[in-house]
Amino acid sequence: MSSQNEQQDGSEDTHVNVADGVDHQVAMVMDLNKCIGCQTCTIACKSLWTEGGGREYMYWNNVETKPGEGYPRGWEDSGGGWKSGEHSERETGEIPSEEEYGRPWEFNHSEIMYEGSDEPLRPREGAEWGPNWDEDQGAGEYPNSYYFYLPRICNHCTHPSCVEACPRSAIYKRAEDGIVLVDQDRCRGYRYCVEGCPYKKVYYNTVSKQSEKCIFCYPRLEGEGPDGETYAPACAEECPPQLRLVGFLDDEAGPIYKLVEEYEVALPLHPEFQTQPNVYYIPPYAPPQHTDEGETVDVERIPREYLEELFGERVHDALDTIERERQRVRQGGESELMELLQHKNPAKQYRLEVFDDA
Amino acid sequence: MPDTTTRRRTLFAAAAVAVLVTLSAVAAPLASARPAHEIPVAPASGDLSGPTTDGWEDVPAATVPLASAPSSVPNADQTSIERVHVQAARGDGRLYLRLQWHDATRDVATNETRAFADSVAVQFPVNTSSRPPIAMGGPTNRVNVWYWSGATGTEELLAGGAGSTTELQSPSVNASAVHRGSGENATWTVVYTRDVDAPGANRTTIADDGDLDVAFAVWNGSNSERAGRKSVSEWHYFPFGPGPEGPPYETVLWTIAGIAIVGVVAVTAFGVHRSRGGMN
Repeated sequence: MSSQNEQQDGSEDTHVNVADGVDHQVAMVMDLNKCIGCQTCTIACKSLWTEGGGREYMYWNNVETKPGEGYPRGWEDSGGGWKSGEHSERETGEIPSEEEYGRPWEFNHSEIMYEGSDEPLRPREGAEWGPNWDEDQGAGEYPNSYYFYLPRICNHCTHPSCVEACPRSAIYKRAEDGIVLVDQDRCRGYRYCVEGCPYKKVYYNTVSKQSEKCIFCYPRLEGEGPDGETYAPACAEECPPQLRLVGFLDDEAGPIYKLVEEYEVALPLHPEFQTQPNVYYIPPYAPPQHTDEGETVDVERIPREYLEELFGERVHDALDTIERERQRVRQGGESELMELLQHKNPAKQYRLEVFDDA
Repeated sequence: MPDTTTRRRTLFAAAAVAVLVTLSAVAAPLASARPAHEIPVAPASGDLSGPTTDGWEDVPAATVPLASAPSSVPNADQTSIERVHVQAARGDGRLYLRLQWHDATRDVATNETRAFADSVAVQFPVNTSSRPPIAMGGPTNRVNVWYWSGATGTEELLAGGAGSTTELQSPSVNASAVHRGSGENATWTVVYTRDVDAPGANRTTIADDGDLDVAFAVWNGSNSERAGRKSVSEWHYFPFGPGPEGPPYETVLWTIAGIAIVGVVAVTAFGVHRSRGGMN
């Protein structure tokens, strides 16, 4: 018997609120405690989807240092999203400038390679900002400075304000799995989606004059590659520490459902934007603070207020739950949550074919 | 003698009033023969092929007021173009339109994330027998749009309501444009031409008789105007009627009114004259 209780009308009895008209909702959980900031996900995505043709400045997947300005610079204060959880009125937003994204830099390759210059290899000019410019800068003071890495893709939100922003319905949430896509035949480059997304994860292609975004690697999910096999998005599969779980939020036997809905330790980024993201984060832990003499003191290194800014009030319960379960394991007990968060993960890291026969 | 003088004065005054009233009744409609929403169409003569060719000097212009279009897009009420000057001429099997509006900046590139292009559009009903909803028509009452953008050039569009704009694959309309001057005097001039006889599905038929409804929209790119954030006109019309004097019923009505006024004045004058004569 299927774990999904099929009803007469074919819809499934689930506790998860997927968007109206969407059968199942793809989701991703990223464990921020595992991210080493190596940008392999960024490059995996870029080499697959955004290498050229007006996409040079785009990073559908980026990893930014927090606290930090992020990519595009200051995106958290750029507007967009909804005014309330009723999803009736949108916040106006701004389109980031080239400078805020960071223009691709020109380097002095030709001088060094062909003209015999002994200058160091460096950008010619205008290198004043770029993606990841404030890498590892963080906040706090020695010996209690702190930072962590935040990988970001499109959240494929349940209430996507980018979809609502488009006057042509060119951007849509596809019915089978809730992936948010831009119909390139309908898009006329108005960029209301760009300004309407509070995460600034829709990008305007200055050559094709249309908007583009993360497609959750749907051709990989659909087995469109040469071997016909199903693969998780490239950012997840290529991650060296394998910090991402990929599956469906409404797959109640999967780890994502357990982490998000049961243990409530995986949280959306900036829930106050009210778009209900489907990318969730295990909030970061850091060693406690030290005195100047190197003594450990019982003060959290990453201030809770900052984590609350990013993940909302629920971050307190999430961190408390993780701490409680860690303690249980330390004392020789067993914890399903701790197993889910480790490579002993019994529920499979990628569960992408569970609804194939539904 | 005094009686005769008074009678003459009365008669003269009555005649003068009659002449004045008659003149005002007949001359007024001639002077303001163009109703507010009519855009005159001149016979094409001279070179009308380009935005600044000589032929346009002899074509009368109508000033069409514009206002922010009602739209759900953000900042839809923040538009900057308040009027467009429209000239129309027809001849040699072609319809020529020239649109001019002030715009201090020439925005023709969309190669930056925040860059939008200056644009203009002329909207006609696909089915000329009824007026579609002004905002891009409706599902059962579509509009044929001649669109020009500084970035992409000319497109012929079909729309059946906001958000349904679709490009026609074989456009029947050409446009050429020039931006001249600087500061407040800087002006876009765009000329559209189309063969009067340009059959095609979802394409407006330009007939020989009757009025053709038309509306206008202008976008200022440097003000981030695009999509529903635009300055638009109300429906206007081109009088493709049987003659320059407009529909015949108008002339008939004004003639009857003129005769009636003359008659009333004459009868009044006669009455005054008689009553005064009777008193003598």
